[in-house]
Amino acid sequence: MSVIQQEKRISLYGSCDIPKLSLPMSLMIRDPSSVLAFDAVGGAQDPIGVPIRFRASSQKARWISLSGFTRLDDLIKSPTGRHGLSALSVPVKARMSEEGRMNSRVNEKYGVIAGKSLNGLSDVGNSTNIRWHNCPVQKADRQELLQQKGCVIWITGLSGSGKSTVACSLSRILHSREKLSYILDGDNVRHGLNRDLGFNPEDRAENIRRIGEVAKLFADAGLICIASLISPSRKDRDACRALLHEGAFIEVFMDVPLQVCEARDPKGLYKLARAGKIKGFTGIDDPYEPPIDSEIVLRQKEQGYDSPSDMAEIIVSYLDEKGYLNA
Amino acid sequence: MPPSFYHSEAPFNHRRSVLLPLLEPGDYTERRVPEGPLVVSNHPFPSPDRSLKLNMATVGNSTNIFWHDCPVGRHERQKLLDQKGCVVWITGLSGSGKSTLACSLSRELHAKGKLSYVLDGDNLRHGLNKDLGFKVEDRTENIRRVGEVAKLFADAGLICIASLISPYRKDRDACRAMLPASSFIEVYMNMPLELCEERDAKGLYKLARAGKIKGFTGIDDPYEPPLNCEIELSQQDGVCPPPGTMAGRVVTYLEEKGFLEYK
Repeated sequence: MSVIQQEKRISLYGSCDIPKLSLPMSLMIRDPSSVLAFDAVGGAQDPIGVPIRFRASSQKARWISLSGFTRLDDLIKSPTGRHGLSALSVPVKARMSEEGRMNSRVNEKYGVIAGKSLNGLSDVGNSTNIRWHNCPVQKADRQELLQQKGCVIWITGLSGSGKSTVACSLSRILHSREKLSYILDGDNVRHGLNRDLGFNPEDRAENIRRIGEVAKLFADAGLICIASLISPSRKDRDACRALLHEGAFIEVFMDVPLQVCEARDPKGLYKLARAGKIKGFTGIDDPYEPPIDSEIVLRQKEQGYDSPSDMAEIIVSYLDEKGYLNA
Repeated sequence: MPPSFYHSEAPFNHRRSVLLPLLEPGDYTERRVPEGPLVVSNHPFPSPDRSLKLNMATVGNSTNIFWHDCPVGRHERQKLLDQKGCVVWITGLSGSGKSTLACSLSRELHAKGKLSYVLDGDNLRHGLNKDLGFKVEDRTENIRRVGEVAKLFADAGLICIASLISPYRKDRDACRAMLPASSFIEVYMNMPLELCEERDAKGLYKLARAGKIKGFTGIDDPYEPPLNCEIELSQQDGVCPPPGTMAGRVVTYLEEKGFLEYK
């Protein structure tokens, strides 16, 4: 069982879907002069994905070639491996840092394994050499303190459909029940965090992404985060849904026809859009993709009406049912 | 109208249909935007009179946006939590102990029944800031975004602990300007470079010295220490105090300034 040793400087990077991964491949180690003692562990410890770590038989191994195995399964089945490696296979999300792609010394034939190097550093997107730092106070502790569970209520709909109004009512009702909530209104956030973004498709997508990430942070802090923004693209909303765990993302669709929104026109924007003064306005000359599978749908009726607080009560009873209003 | 349209009789399932009012166009007359040029306004926090002010504004690249006031404001949330929202901004070289202090502080505050949240530079670079690298512009944008998010957390009533190198004074001061006076508490981890390098908790100094990492703060990128920070933590007689002690100092400061109660 020999390990190929080479006096080269190499680094660990990148990630790949395990089912798609096929050997031969090369695994490069970040800091060759430190002790290389990968553990054969798999597990969802790292929020960016699941790391795979490998044990090298020699303390000073630098370059571990995994050629000779045709599938990762083979590697797993032979625990010590031909090259002294033992590994466990776990599903990994595919993501590759720009630096990794640029610095790659392997061609398309080779896959690269995701993992942590010894000192626990990894690359995510453009951020290189970062390490997730765990804190003693976790989400569960905060939830215990607040006596509620953190979640994200994502209110989507055309301009003028009543998103901000329902969000405010909801926030008030939750406050009266001593639950802590916070509203991330699309317009309000565009005053601060997203002031550098416009309304073209890429900027809308980035707006939704950033609000999704911030909402995730609020939910992690234990708050009931109410995001109210048009968010016209289904793909972007689903991407935000994917950031949170099952059930923590509650999509509320304000199903109000365009004519009604336009008749209301609370901000005078439809008028400006019809006059051609605003380009790319959702509903007029930019598409709105309604949700197919939202948790709650708030629909308009033809006579009589429900006030925003009645609608908010529906959302509150949903939260109650699902247990978000208790620790 | 068939009875199924009325929500009180609708079956109880996860998709609740609630029927919205058909509002008359005149319902919002008093709130219509007046004809004329756009008015640029600054609404950092909800207005005291709580009415729905519909003043259209242009902020940065976002055109035709409004500030929506809401009945539940900062004060109501602070009253609920029995604390005042603020931002504790921990700055210092890599390896100076920022994340450690942030975690200790969070634990101390939690033990006192206060709600806090840590915004760690590295952790945020896994999510919100994953599209940013370490060039000067990206660092500035990273600090700006963390500052904005910290401001939202402070507005929500939490004690937000931001821990990131944030090497440039201008960027830290820009974050300070985003918050009301005295809500921004800058904590400087004044640990000498030699100590940080000796610790080298993440192995980065070694890589930086070897030239593997370019533009690493302290080695080939400047760190501008704060000139006017609220708390400075440094070695006592050449020894670094334990994290619990340093966290205690910050907690004492917060207590003295009245952040740990709502009055």
